[in-house]
Order: sequence, then C-alpha cells, then structure tokens
Amino acid sequence: MNSIIIKNLTKKFGQITAINNLSLNIEEGKITGLIGADASGKTTLIRLIIGLLEPDNGEISILNLNPSKQKSEITKKIGYMPQKFGLYEDLTVIENLKLYADLRKQPYQFEKMLEFTRLYEFQDRLAGALSGGMKQKLGLACTLLGNPEILLLDEPSVGVDPVSRIDLMKMVKELITPKTTVLWSTAYLDEAHSFDKAVILDKGQVIFNGKPTDLAETTDKFEKKVIELMGGYKKEISKIAENYQTIEQNIEYSVVADNLEKKYGNFYAVKNNTFCIKKGEIFGLLGPNGAGKSTSFKMMCGLTKPTSGSAKIMGIDIKENPIKARSNLGYMAQKFSLYGSLTVEQNLKFFASVYGIGILNRKERINEILDIFDLREIANQKSESLPLGYKQRLSMACALIHNPPVLFLDEPTSGVDIIARHQFWNHITSLAKKGVTILVTTHFMDEAEFCDRISLFYKGEAITIGTPKELKEKANAETMQEAFIKLVQEDDE
Amino acid sequence: MKILLALIKKEFKQIIRDPSSIIIAFVLPFISIMIYMYGINLDSVKVNIGIKNDDANPEVTTLVESFGKNKYINSIPYNNEKDITQAITRSKIKGAVIIPNDFSKKLSKGESSEILVITDGSEVNTANYIQNYASSITNGWLMTSKYKYLVTPPIINTELRAWYNQDLNSHNFILPGSIAITMTLIGILLTALVVAREWERGTMESLLSTQVRRIDIVLGKYIPYFCLGLTSMIFNVSMCIGVFKIPFRGNYFVFFLVSSLFLFTLLGIGLLISSKLKNQFLASQVSLGIGFLPALLLSGLIFPISSMPLFFQYLTGILPPKYFIIFVESEYMAGTIFEIVVINSIFLTILGAILFILVYKSTNMRLEK
Amino acid sequence: MIIDSLRRIIALIRKELITTWKDPKSRSIIIGLPLLQLIIFANAITMEVKNIDVTVVDRDKSVESRELLSHFENSPHFRKIYYADNENEFRNKIDTQKAKIGIYINNDFSRAIKSQKQTQVLVVLDGRQTNSAAIAGGYASEIINSYGSQMSKKQGAKINTVVRNWYNPNLEYRWFIMTVIIVMLSVVITMLLTALSIAREREMGTFDQLIVSPLSSFEIMVGKVIPPLIIAMFLTCLMTLIIIFGFKVPFAGSISLFLISIFISLFSIVGVGLFISSICKTQQQAILGVITFQMPAILLSGFISPIEDMPIGWQYLTMINPVRYFMTLSRGIFLKGMGTEDVMSNIIPLIIIAVVTLSIASWTFKRKLD
Repeated sequence: MNSIIIKNLTKKFGQITAINNLSLNIEEGKITGLIGADASGKTTLIRLIIGLLEPDNGEISILNLNPSKQKSEITKKIGYMPQKFGLYEDLTVIENLKLYADLRKQPYQFEKMLEFTRLYEFQDRLAGALSGGMKQKLGLACTLLGNPEILLLDEPSVGVDPVSRIDLMKMVKELITPKTTVLWSTAYLDEAHSFDKAVILDKGQVIFNGKPTDLAETTDKFEKKVIELMGGYKKEISKIAENYQTIEQNIEYSVVADNLEKKYGNFYAVKNNTFCIKKGEIFGLLGPNGAGKSTSFKMMCGLTKPTSGSAKIMGIDIKENPIKARSNLGYMAQKFSLYGSLTVEQNLKFFASVYGIGILNRKERINEILDIFDLREIANQKSESLPLGYKQRLSMACALIHNPPVLFLDEPTSGVDIIARHQFWNHITSLAKKGVTILVTTHFMDEAEFCDRISLFYKGEAITIGTPKELKEKANAETMQEAFIKLVQEDDE
Repeated sequence: MKILLALIKKEFKQIIRDPSSIIIAFVLPFISIMIYMYGINLDSVKVNIGIKNDDANPEVTTLVESFGKNKYINSIPYNNEKDITQAITRSKIKGAVIIPNDFSKKLSKGESSEILVITDGSEVNTANYIQNYASSITNGWLMTSKYKYLVTPPIINTELRAWYNQDLNSHNFILPGSIAITMTLIGILLTALVVAREWERGTMESLLSTQVRRIDIVLGKYIPYFCLGLTSMIFNVSMCIGVFKIPFRGNYFVFFLVSSLFLFTLLGIGLLISSKLKNQFLASQVSLGIGFLPALLLSGLIFPISSMPLFFQYLTGILPPKYFIIFVESEYMAGTIFEIVVINSIFLTILGAILFILVYKSTNMRLEK
Repeated sequence: MIIDSLRRIIALIRKELITTWKDPKSRSIIIGLPLLQLIIFANAITMEVKNIDVTVVDRDKSVESRELLSHFENSPHFRKIYYADNENEFRNKIDTQKAKIGIYINNDFSRAIKSQKQTQVLVVLDGRQTNSAAIAGGYASEIINSYGSQMSKKQGAKINTVVRNWYNPNLEYRWFIMTVIIVMLSVVITMLLTALSIAREREMGTFDQLIVSPLSSFEIMVGKVIPPLIIAMFLTCLMTLIIIFGFKVPFAGSISLFLISIFISLFSIVGVGLFISSICKTQQQAILGVITFQMPAILLSGFISPIEDMPIGWQYLTMINPVRYFMTLSRGIFLKGMGTEDVMSNIIPLIIIAVVTLSIASWTFKRKLD
C-alpha cells in the first residue's frame, strides 16, 4: 500500500527547475528518509505534497486526496514540521502545545509528550528561551499531536546535539502507530541508514529509492554509496588553502581563553572556561544544545562581555583592543547573517572592503573566491533566495575573504549536504596545515574526529578537554557519537 | 470554532506579553490628547505686531493704547519703517500697523480714514488674524473715541450665532476630532505588523499545515485587535469627557456602534498592508506613511474637505477618519442626528467590508511562489 | 589608517544604499510615497473656506433681500443656497451638515432699509466645524456689511484698513503649506530610514557580523548617518524643484543657504533617528519610538497653531524640537529670503540637537557592545 503517489511532478521557480518530472511512491507504515544535496528539491517536494505549493505539472495523491484541491481534507490527516518550525516564541511550552492541540482539534493530553521531550519541568518557560534542541523537540511534539496518518518532517535534526537527536528519533518511533507513514528529510546519513526506506534526490529527480541496507550494510559504506550516487566526492587539493597567504606568527597560542565566565543573575551560563589553542590547531567546542557553547563563542569574539576572565586573539585582548583583535579573525555565525537583499557578489565585495582589502586586489580576490567556493553561477542572485547550503558556503567565503590567521566557526555545517561538508572540512584541515588556527562548534560527530583537540561542554562547564582519541578512550567508546553521549550521561550522574 | 478561539487566545497572550501593543493602545493616545489639548489652539492667537503712529493728535494715542491692551495682540512701538521691515523679516513681529499723519484730521471731518496693516504673508493664518484683529480693534476704538458722534451706524447689523458650540471653542471640536486621527494611527499600527510577523518567523507555515481555515486566520487577527482597539477608544473618550470636560451631547450606545465600525475599517487597512507585504520592515514603513500625515491633513479635521478640488474630495472618500470625524463632532456637540449617523455608518460599513474582503483574499493559504 | 577607515565607511555606505535603493518596493516607499503625498497635499490642503453651502429663511421676500442673497450667490466662497420654508427645515439643513451656515432675514428687512432704520440679519454657524465656521461667518458678515453700506445714504467717519501682505501678497495658502509639507515629508522619510536600520540588522543577525569585523563603532555610526542623509537630501531637493517649477511657488532666498539649512536640519533628524535606533532592540520598538517622537514633533512645530500660543512650558519644550527650526528655515528662506544671521540662529540649535543625539546614540551603542 502506498500512502503517497507522485507521478511526473514538475515545479519551477522562475528559471530554476526545483522538481523535474519526478515520480515516487511512499509506502504506508514505513519511515522513509529523504536525502539529497542542497537545492535538490527536498523542501519543495514536501511542500508540494501537503499542498503548500502547487505543482506546474504532474499529479500527487496523498491518502487518495489531491493536495491542490483537497488541502483542507489533507491537513486533518497529516503532521508537518517545517524546517524553521513555527513555535510562538512569546508563548510558553504548554501554551504552544495547547494552541496546536486546539488547531488540530485534539484534547489536552500532553503527559506523555512532556515526558518524552523532557520538557516537563520547563512547561512554563517561554518557547523563545529554550535551547535549540528543546525547541525542535517541542516542535515535533506539536506536530505529533493527534496521531497523524502521515508525518512529514523537514530536517528536524538540523542543529541538534546527538543526545537530543536520539530523543527525537525515539519520540517519532514510539509515538506513531504501525500504520503511520513518515517522510523524514535529513542531512545525517546515520539517521537515514536506520530508516525503513531511503529516497535520494538529485536535481529534482529520484536517483535512488529502496532499502538503505540494500545500498550498504554499514553506515560508513552507506555514506560512501550515497556520495557516489550524488556525483561523488574526490578529495582535491584545497584551493583556498593553496591561495592562503600565511602571516608570520611568533605567538605560541593564537587563541587564549582565560577563566571566561558569564553570569546572568545567579545563573552561570559559562563557568571558568579556560583553553589555549596553538597555531594551526583545530579546536572543537562540543556539547548539547544550551550547554554554553554559543555564549563562550560570543565572548571569544567580543559579542558578549564576559562577567570575568579574558579572551585573547593573536595575543591581543579582545576587550582592550577589539578592532585590532578582530582584524585577525574570520567569523561565521550559526544563523545565516549576511545581507539578504545584496547579491552574492555584493556581499563578498562588502566584506572584502570592510576587512580592508584594497581596490586593486579586491576584484582578483573576489574572482578567486567565486571560483574556489563554486559561487560563480549564482554571483548575481540575491543571497536571501539561496538554498541553505549555498548560504552557508557564502558565509564561509565572507569569513575567509581576508585571509585571517584565526577562524571562528559556529556550527558551520548545520543543514549542509554531505558532499559540501566533506569539501568544507577538506578546506578546514588544509587551512590548519597552513597555520590557520580554528575554533569550531559542531553537532556532527564525524566532524569532531577532524579536530585536533576537543572541549566537551556541559551545563556551562568544560567537562573534559582532549584529543578525540583521548575522549573515546576515557568513555570507552568506539565512535565520537558514543563517547559524547556517555560522557554527558556520566556527568549527569 | 474551537480553532478560532484558540487563535484568539494565542493572540491575546501575545498582546499581553508584548508591551509595545499596550504602549500603542494607551500611551500613544495619552500623549496625543495632551498635545491636542495644550499644544494646539485654533481660536485665539496671540501675536506680536509693530505699531508706528505718525499722527500727533493725542486722541490717536488712545488708539495705540488700545492695541496694547488687547489680549490677542502684543504691540511694540517703532519709529521708522526700516526697523519694521527688519523685524518682520526676522520674524520678531508678524505684522505691523501704521497710522498715517492725516488719520485724525479725516475722522474729525466725518470722512473715512485709513490705517495701513502690514502682515507677514509667509504665515497665512497669522496674517489673516492680524487683518481681522486690526480692523476690529480700530472699529472698536472708533465707537468709544470722541469721533463716535460722526459715525453713521450701519443699517444692517450682522448677528453671528454659532450653534452647538456657542463661543466657538476650538478644543470642543479638536479633541473629539483628534480621537479619529489618533485611532487611525493606532488601529493601523496595531495590526500592520502582526501578519507579517507570522510570515517572517515561520509560524504561518506551521499554521497552514493544520486544519486552520482562511476565515479563522482572518478573524483570529480581527477579533483580538478589535477588542484592544475598542479599549483604547474607550480610554480616549473617557479622557476627553472625564479629564478635559469636553461636553458630550450624544448617545453612548450609538457612539459605541459607530466607533466599532470605524475600528473595523482601520484594522482592515493594517491587516491588508501586513498580509500583502509579509515583511515587517516594509509594512511599518507603509503604515507610518499612510497612517499619520494623510489622516491628519486630509480627513477634514483641520483643513476643510469642501474647499478641496472635486477630485481630491473624492479621494478623501477612501479615508475612514473622514467619516468618523463628521460623526464624532456631531455626536459630541449636537447630539445624535439620525441622518449623519446613518450616512457615515454606511460609508464606514462599505469601506470596512471591502477591506475585509481584500484581507480575506490576500490571506494566502499556500506559500508564495 | 585613515584611508583604511575611509574605505570601510565607503563600503558601509554602498551597502546601505544598495539595500534601500535596489529594492523596488523600498524605493517606491521612500521616493514614490512622499512625492505622491506632496502632490496630493499641495492640491488638496487649504485653510481657505470655499464651496460653502448656505440655507436661507427669507421672511421678507423683497427685492432687497433677494439682492443681498444674490451677493452670496456671486461670491466665490459660497456655492449652493437652499431656501428653507420654515425654521424646522432651516435647522435640519444645518443639523445634517447640508449647509455650513444659515441666514435668517426678518420680515422688516426691506422696510428698514427704505426708511434707513437699523435692522438685523441673523447668521447661524455650524459650530461643530469651529474653525471653518468662524471663517465662513467672517465672509458672510463682510458681504452683509458691504451691502449695508451700499444701501446706507449717509456716509460718516469710518476707518478702512488697507492691508499689505508681504512675501505672499494674495495670501496664497498653497505657498505656505508647501513649505510646511516639504518639511513634514522629509522628516517622516528620514526617520523611517534611520530609526529602523540598526534594529533591523539586529533582528537579521547581520549586526553581529559587523561587530566582529574590524569596523569601529564610530565607523558604523558614520556608515549609518551618511546614507539616509544622501537619500533624504536627494528627496528634499527633488521636492523643492517640484514646488518651484511644478507649483510655481517663488523662491525668495538664497539657494546655497537653503541647501545648507536642509542639510543641517536633516542631519539633526538623522541624529534623533539613530538615537531611537540605538536604544531599540526590535523593529517594533523602533517604530514605536518613531511615532512617539514624530507625532508631537510635527504637531508642535508651529504649523497648525503658532508656538507663541502654547502654554509657556510647552513653548520651552519646543526648543528641543528640531522640526520647529527646520520649518522656520524652510518657510523663512523659501518665502521670506531670510538672511544669514537669522538662518544661523536657527541652525545652531539644530547642530546642538544633532551633536547631542548622535553622541548619546554612539554612547549607548558602544555601551551595548561592551
């Protein structure tokens, strides 16, 4: 039995074809993973299925209903969680639940939900004050209300830590009925590997549809196969690193955090955080959502004033001489924060001049960057209209445009596809070899393996610092994922 | 129905949590009413004028004195015209009165005599006031001077009588009228951002995937802000009546009904802006652009609509405050007049209904391309 | 160092101009909306009272009373005359605002004129529209009085006032109002351009990106001050040209003084806008700030009723109102050809306002960063 049947579906946005003559059946009672590169059409497909967009051509039938004509019938039977899940940030947790229960005509039975999401004690907190992981869990809870027959989840695990990711998975698996159909779009291939079915999209077409285990037995191999199907990734010499002009540095530690502390009232967001990063080192800040990583990060680049302690970049105190300290810094924010109404090229030009690249070199440098980051084709597009992965790439390009000796990357790969992530980390490691010092936060544990050293953050404090190997040994774990979960749980006890 | 109630409840909670709605609804009208009460005065203008007397006759000095004694005029003596010119250019004085040397001679012969009044035409209103003051002061003086026996009394006297507002106290009409202006701003501002905000924050996409119907979304916005707007209106009116003692001769129930209609049209404008633009930045720019100056200048409160060229008179027809001002002034000063209530209510209803339909139509149930 | 700093500022300015200018929606709001309003307001607004409809009860029905009424018919101020048969109808016409004024002629009207005795004409005004009623009443008594003196056989001593209106001989209301509108519209647009700009970047997250770059807070401030100044200057000049050439309002003063004055006026408005922007976290708060400043500033700038007429405390309050000086300068230079000395006395307070607001803005702004 198929609950969703799609025939010859096409959807264009202006010149761009998002979905190209796509046919697909999705089986009832199965969890289907939707995988694909950035801009491969995942979000558009989901939006078409529930009738938020209308197709140009082709047919969709969802539970034998037509979404372009019977949208109101469909909404009764489905649960949809958009990428930017629409929680009302000025309502509390319980108020959000009640609202969505009313909107789905469901009774107020949240006991089980609250337990699963571990939001019980936070039910009177404003949704806006929750950490990223909790927000996603609450969003999922709101979507799951009323046991929908079909569940459509658009990258629910973006920016979520491994522990919360497991929670999300558990919530879905345990709260649905055996007949519920789930379409789950994800960038985590380990997640996709564990599903019943996997659909891989590329350029608006289905390039694989079947059991993930048919493709490969283990997660690692599955990842390789997927990459192959998506066009393959060949490790090349990083052009960014190649063109990088290293600056002579005589300092041993390029980045130093000395007893950084941030207090809000009586609550310590970050407590005696101390670390030193050597030149050319990749230093990872890991930890569950809301552990204080972002606050530490913000203090390091001078966006938040620490209650006590100090941060130095290339030996310059960020508090005492912020302008000089920052000129050594390339910064990539968690949320896309470039100028949406400017084109890709205009953004690059702007940051090039702000970071003091002279007019003579500027054009050359921008051309170089456009090539290296593969942005040439979209150079004249407004950056707000780009898909997430391209936005991320552009942010990285802007952060690197002035050849900074120190790079701060705050979850640089959230929502980026696997190939782009590989390319990205290839650049990072190559840059580090050239002497660039990198401070990075991430929720991808495979990425954590690339770090030279890791500080595992939990409840405002670094619970352990060491190389990935040391951490794994300490936790007696095989993978970083396992180590992360174990170390966090140990600390809890 | 349950869905609508849930949306309304949600909106109320958001209103309560967000101080800015409360500020818009209550602080803004307070500021505005203070300004209209104390800062704006249309009836008695006190101006500085220069006076130069070329007539040495002692009787004429009493005329100069009466210019000095008048409560509307503050006169400053000048000896030569050059100083007067300079003083007017520098806005030290807004005009001048010059009494020629043959002034009293002509009067004593029972002939008509002249005084010269100079005004600063760059301020048209003040210039008009000065003309009127000057001629009323001189005529008043004439009837008490020794020349009064030489004056032929006019055969036709005009008796001016102002109905509804005997002493033509401008606050009696400015304050009630200002309610219309302030409410226009408040009504539009309250709603202009609320739909755009849902689009920007992504909550709209979630709403659209639930069983929410279009009418729920529309009413879910109209009803809560209607209640808030009405409270603000009541606050406004009670300030006018209670604190500033502006007489109210109308019927509270009728007033309540027409105010509701007015509010209904205003919320429509705000919601239309918001759901068309889907962007808080643009929505706020547009609502400020159309909510303040056009309402202030074109609604007939200060500048009479009947004096406008015909085309622009019709153009003002799309402004809800126009109808409300006519109603509110009549209601306050003359009491409920059936015809005025009905005609203006009909216009407001038509406008409100058109806006409601437009809001309904522009509420997308799908994401835009 | 200075060149680097300049380069960064130029980059900021270019970015601001592109974001506000390149977007057709925002361009039409910033330029289209004010120009449209300028044209509408210029044509529509007047304090003169025209097209007055009159209702009449003529108890006399004589040659004389008809003659008097024909004067009303021929006056440019009056439009329709509704003849009412009785007091009820008369009252009804005024109640329902079909007529703005009512004229009641007694049955002794013609007899009195013939015998040169005194008589009275009653003019009833609709006090609800207090302002225009008073003006209309003035017109009516003027017509009646002049008819009276025509009919009067004796001429006695009387005083005529000869009026000379400087700068605007026919007291054209449009001349006055246009110099006011230009100020109001530039203030509104300048406030919109500045007050939301920082709050918007805060909400979008781009502000963090700026802070993390080597831009100093001073450079960011300069980069936020100049672009709105450029746009507002352009807009104001465009409106001035339209007023001079499109509406044929004579420009009496010095062009260079005028340009300097509007530049400094706009500069102080930008200062206020940035001050609001620097203390607001969200766009919504910024809009509130704009309204709470703009509404009083425009209403209390002296255009509706003169500042001298306010209670003394309020008069002092207007001394910190930049719109007040802006309006005096615009009107003074445009219509009166104000000289350098007087211009200076209005510019100095504006400069003080600009310096104070901008310093507070950059101070709060810097403090928030630390």
